Amino acid sequence: MEEALRPRLLPAEEPLDGQALASASDTELMAACQDPESASGGFRELLSRYRKSALALAYQMLGNVEDAEDAAQEAFVRVFQAMPQFRGQASFSTWLYRIVTNTCLARIRRHRSSAALETLPEPRGEDSPSDQVANGLLTRQVLHQMPPGLQAVLLLRVEGGLSYREIADALGLPIGTVRSRLSKARIAFRKLWNEFERGSGDGAPAVGQAGVTRPGRANSAVDSVEEER
Amino acid sequence: MTCRSFQKDLSSYLDGELPGARAARLEAHLRVCHHCQQEMAALRGINDHIRAASRHLRVSQDFDQRVLRAVGYYRVTTMRRERRPLVKPLVVLALILLALFGLIKQYFSRNLPLPVRAPQPAVGGYAPAPQAAPTFPGRNRR
Repeated sequence: MEEALRPRLLPAEEPLDGQALASASDTELMAACQDPESASGGFRELLSRYRKSALALAYQMLGNVEDAEDAAQEAFVRVFQAMPQFRGQASFSTWLYRIVTNTCLARIRRHRSSAALETLPEPRGEDSPSDQVANGLLTRQVLHQMPPGLQAVLLLRVEGGLSYREIADALGLPIGTVRSRLSKARIAFRKLWNEFERGSGDGAPAVGQAGVTRPGRANSAVDSVEEER
Repeated sequence: MTCRSFQKDLSSYLDGELPGARAARLEAHLRVCHHCQQEMAALRGINDHIRAASRHLRVSQDFDQRVLRAVGYYRVTTMRRERRPLVKPLVVLALILLALFGLIKQYFSRNLPLPVRAPQPAVGGYAPAPQAAPTFPGRNRR
């Protein structure tokens, strides 16, 4: 009975050292964050584990690196601030992605403009082959034009790797809505991809490169699915 | 069942979120329907494109430092906010004490004899010569 009443996140009994932090689970790290002695180490470890995926999610939603870094950093600060109130009702990744998503959606509402797409910087890192760059640009254009509600569901699934249940928890939606939104999001993605491709002419990315199938194929089938809904 | 009814399930099937019986029916259909196979491949292509779009993304070197700085700043501001309610009463108390001190000082200064004034130089007369600067033994030896 007492066990059932105990909060799920208890401060660690002993402060975790560097090695223990590296091998600790997310839940253990969140517990460490509640303890003043190990809070700093616990938060740093969570930051190092999730900064890349949080940034990738924000980047896909916002379409440029600078905004994405700002949003991801803001999300981590919010996570830190809300840590004492967290009761372990979801996994850390689900909670973090929900905060990243909400931060990005707020920014989209404030700043979204179609002109921003034309000056999108390329991702930092090694040089990419031209077809990958073209595909990446087209993907960002498509995502940028999608309704934010569909975009968020699609990215939480594909980029964040969340299950339908986790997406439902993260966005406060019924699981059936998540299912139908994902289906609609994929249809919308394909339609937009086709439109951009038709508009881009010669600059369209190559089909079938590295086993990647162009999402706009079998367009008539997309329309038929859409009519059915 | 027609292709249209199966296509509704493709997205959930791709995500591994289709219940067992419906998944089995769809798999059987996919084995014989080239059109739905193409649809499925197209949906997989969307996932591939999205994942590829962020593959080359690199986190900037000062990402962690900026977050930790922001977190530190937040802590300081919270502490300041907590302390702020005490500032006003303390300032008011200090002002009251200063005023009281001034009044008490003024009261006692009226009752004390006036200090003896030092002689002043006559108006239009000469000012007393400035005193020579003190010399320190051994300082100006050559």
